Amino acid sequence: MKNLFDKGGKFEKFYPIYEMFETMLFVRPDRTKSGAHLRDHFDIKRLMAFVLIGCFPAFIFGMYNVGYQHYVSQGLSASAISYILKGAGYVIPIMLVCYIVGGFWEILFAIIREEEVNEGLFVTGFLVPLIVPASIPLWQVAVAISFGVILGKEVFGGTGMNIFNPALVTRAFLFFAYPAAISGNKVWTIFGDKVVDSYTKATPLAAALDGGSGSVVQNLTEKGYTFKKLLLGLHPGSVGETSALLIILGGIFLIITGIASWRIMVSVFAGGFAMALILNLLAPSQSSFLALPFYYHFVMGGFAFGAVFMATDPVSASQTETGKYIYGFLIGFLAVMVRGLNPAYPEGMMLAILFMNAFAPLIDNIIVSRNIKRRLSRASN
Amino acid sequence: MELLNLAINSIFVSNILLASFLGMCSFLAISKRISASIGMGAAVVFVLTITAPVSWLMNEYILKEGALVWLGDSFKNVDLSFMTYIFFIAVIAAMVQLVEMIVEKFSPALYTALGIFLPLITVNCAILGVALFMVERKYTFAQTTVFGFSSGLGYFLAIVTMAAIRKKIRYSNVVPALRGLGITMILTGLLAMAFMIFSGIQL
Repeated sequence: MKNLFDKGGKFEKFYPIYEMFETMLFVRPDRTKSGAHLRDHFDIKRLMAFVLIGCFPAFIFGMYNVGYQHYVSQGLSASAISYILKGAGYVIPIMLVCYIVGGFWEILFAIIREEEVNEGLFVTGFLVPLIVPASIPLWQVAVAISFGVILGKEVFGGTGMNIFNPALVTRAFLFFAYPAAISGNKVWTIFGDKVVDSYTKATPLAAALDGGSGSVVQNLTEKGYTFKKLLLGLHPGSVGETSALLIILGGIFLIITGIASWRIMVSVFAGGFAMALILNLLAPSQSSFLALPFYYHFVMGGFAFGAVFMATDPVSASQTETGKYIYGFLIGFLAVMVRGLNPAYPEGMMLAILFMNAFAPLIDNIIVSRNIKRRLSRASN
Repeated sequence: MELLNLAINSIFVSNILLASFLGMCSFLAISKRISASIGMGAAVVFVLTITAPVSWLMNEYILKEGALVWLGDSFKNVDLSFMTYIFFIAVIAAMVQLVEMIVEKFSPALYTALGIFLPLITVNCAILGVALFMVERKYTFAQTTVFGFSSGLGYFLAIVTMAAIRKKIRYSNVVPALRGLGITMILTGLLAMAFMIFSGIQL
């Protein structure tokens, strides 16, 4: 079997595909060809698998929530299994499109450039369905994931060499290219034939921006969004980002296994906290969105999901330890700032991370050159 | 407050490079090295801060219709605005000459690093663009000064960020056909997309 794909074999060109499946199933006894040689079962493929495990609770809950919103909007109720099945009917096709289309480009590049297939798509293809609304047209997902994989990653040489997180590039492309499919109040729930009047279609962020008579928290509560509910996540929103509780559980898993940087996660929340306090000071009245307390920001929209799974991407984040604090802090800061001050976008988390992806190399550079200076002055004394 | 708004607007929201795509040639060429890009950014800030107000004065007292009225009533109907481009370019060229002499005197290393691109600031469309935007948007003197300075800062921010990114992708295995300018163009597009986070912010 293997000989067919080796150099000179019949399917020599398709070696990357063979290699992909072989390493997915087995750990191969390959060794470094020269120099130091460390053996560890923990390669990139396993690392990516751990990220997927971390996302999994949010993913299952996302499917449940899609189904739940669908039934509730029609005034029906059903069992948990049928919620999940209903949701899976929308979420799984998105994921399949991501893997098939993304995988196609990935393999094409690997064959042409005669390299091995990178593992990064595992995570990208899993994250993208979680950050889009379930009602998104599949062809748009296909176009966007092509953009994300090719221009966000493959032109730079594949996983580990990109500047921007490909999943975020995909999401930003969708946001700017097809704004109607990813913003507004109608896209977050899969509606059936009829919609009951009592059903709130708005996401919590849109509901909070809407205003009302009482304080902003009271207005949210009136619309059915108490803090506890928001934390649990049974409300309209992108597939995987509604349940802050499960996302934070996933985050703790990633921190314990040492995959994601706790520095980034903590400082994202710190940045959001700081900006929320500033906005609170600026708020003209209690009913204004700016008066929203910081802990509401954490459980609404994509804040928690971005902080845990997107900002911590080890490739596009800051590499230096001090840099991680700055990088994370500015993400949280900008995300809450956009929510409060930018009327064009109700949600800024994904763009804030993309923006800081661009600045991560600069932050690293400043930190590194400062370290060099400090050590030089220490050495010369 | 209004000036602060204008400053933030021209640094982030309508960044001269990433929203208007003016000044691309020097941006693409100089962003190879961080130290050179800092120098280039600083030069642009300096030139813009001086040329924008000077251009404003030229426009207000020489060029626009009725600007020469201070010479006497008979000049009331004189309209020299057809000479706007020539005057602005002359001012910019003079200023660039000045910057060049200062840089050569105080930092010969930067002078050699910038090379031909320092004189080329003269024809950097970002500089002329700022002067023309200023006329078109009917800014006051204070607004023009702030606009010139903060557009320069926006250019500075963009070019230094790009230089840092390009330093990082030196370790990347970029598709051979795209190495150099190609990948920089793609990066500029992605960077502009990231900057769109600010579009629409009003203080």
